[in-house]
Amino acid sequence: MGIEFQHVVKRFENGTEALSDVSVTIPPGSLTFLTGHSGAGKSTFLNLVLRADRPTRGKVLVNGVDIAGLKRRHLPVYRRHLGAVFQDGQLLDARTIFNNVALPLHVAGMRARDVGRRVRAALESVDLLRKAELLPGQLSAGERQRVVIARAVVNRPKILLADEPTGNLDPELSRSTMALFRRFHDVGVTVIVASHDTELVGTMGSRVVGLDHGRVVSQEATNPDG
Amino acid sequence: MARTRVWPAQARPWGAYWRDHGRVLRDTLGYLSGRFATTLWVWLTIGVALAVPAALHLLEANLVRAAGQWRENPGFSVYFEPGVAMEKPEDLVERLKAMDGIERVWLTTPDEALAEFRELSGVSDALELLDDNPLPASVRASVTTAVSPAGLAALAEQAAVTDGVEDVVVERSWLERLGALREIVTRLHWSLTAILGLGAVLISGATVRLAIVARLEEVKVLTLVGAGRGYVRRPFLYLGAAYGLGGAVIAAMAISALLLFLEEPLVRLFGSYGRDLEIAGFDPIFHLVLLASGGTLGVLGAVAASSQRLNRLNAAQGRP
Repeated sequence: MGIEFQHVVKRFENGTEALSDVSVTIPPGSLTFLTGHSGAGKSTFLNLVLRADRPTRGKVLVNGVDIAGLKRRHLPVYRRHLGAVFQDGQLLDARTIFNNVALPLHVAGMRARDVGRRVRAALESVDLLRKAELLPGQLSAGERQRVVIARAVVNRPKILLADEPTGNLDPELSRSTMALFRRFHDVGVTVIVASHDTELVGTMGSRVVGLDHGRVVSQEATNPDG
Repeated sequence: MARTRVWPAQARPWGAYWRDHGRVLRDTLGYLSGRFATTLWVWLTIGVALAVPAALHLLEANLVRAAGQWRENPGFSVYFEPGVAMEKPEDLVERLKAMDGIERVWLTTPDEALAEFRELSGVSDALELLDDNPLPASVRASVTTAVSPAGLAALAEQAAVTDGVEDVVVERSWLERLGALREIVTRLHWSLTAILGLGAVLISGATVRLAIVARLEEVKVLTLVGAGRGYVRRPFLYLGAAYGLGGAVIAAMAISALLLFLEEPLVRLFGSYGRDLEIAGFDPIFHLVLLASGGTLGVLGAVAASSQRLNRLNAAQGRP
């Protein structure tokens, strides 16, 4: 499921230009890292793919379709094929881990029996099945992040977006979280991960797009061994 | 032609729509019971707003019913001079029966009038002292409901020109007062329905708005995982309906209590006029309409609140 940015400019109302003439092609099924310092435009890039925002100029094509022109009624269907992991987690504190992960399946209208099966599989993949009935507040930061990942993949998305998924994690947890993304990439999901941790990204052996002040400054493939 | 979908449309599984409704209903009941004091407060407030126009509606309905029960009364009475020959009242009866707008005609002879007076006045001993019957013959006519007050006056004037007639009394003044009172009640009813109905919408809207603010994080997450507008709004519409329906139940209870409180003195009042009283308001249709109105007003408030709040959220997310 290819993603293509064609001369994309994103300027906010306060005049800040988050992306300046960005042209990037992300092949279907690839694992791509966006790197750069804070304010480089990584989150804006992901928000444009999620269609949480629209470009000021240029086009964002997903599967050949300019998603800025998606009709309101088509947008929910588009998003049901995406998985999103953000640094702040956005877990609902009043719902159990199970119910947090089940949200995308309820939205898709899935039967309770199928919801249970899929949620258990997703929680098992992040090694949190035993904590399914706890509330988010009862988990550590790393566990909460893994719950968000489980929620992002429970609906078997075609594209998985992650914004600084290891921002709050220690190095060991960061590596295991990145390994999770690689596993989803291995089963054909297009994965885009934004991270400022260039050292960690360098160990993943994937495409890396470097951003700086809203401009693409590098596009390269890294060696997984270092 | 450019494609407008990124992926082919996927039909939601059969029954998903009703599963959503079932889940939202359970969640709504849980939400309300978890905040019962607030919920009760909202129900009472909406209940008062609904009870006032509903009570006025019942007052109007009962005035119409009261007027209807005396429907035979509007008309006029023609009093003849004492000692007039009975042919004249009898001729008038025949003439009146032939006129358009006349419903019924009664002839009361002087002897019948005296007997009636004796029975009602309780002074029969005093009447025995009189040599002659001082009471005149009279004719009473009632008019159909189609006859206007002006038409009633015209009919009475025609009867008044009959030879031997001493006086004609048109019995309309109380009916006109009742009609005027009904007009005031009707206007008051619709004015207060509009004002307090708007109040109920605003109460529901403000409460639902607070619920949306409290669950804004959930709304954002649902939007990001692909929930459509209907899915996101549904819990808030259910909440508005629950507030409206609860308010209507409170209003129905208040009105029933009011009717029970007033029933006994009203029965006595009507009984003094020899009438049976059947108060409007105890019928299921009235309660169904009250519930439907409450539910509708509650949903309207929720629609207004959720549209405004979700549009702002969508604008912030760059949605068209």
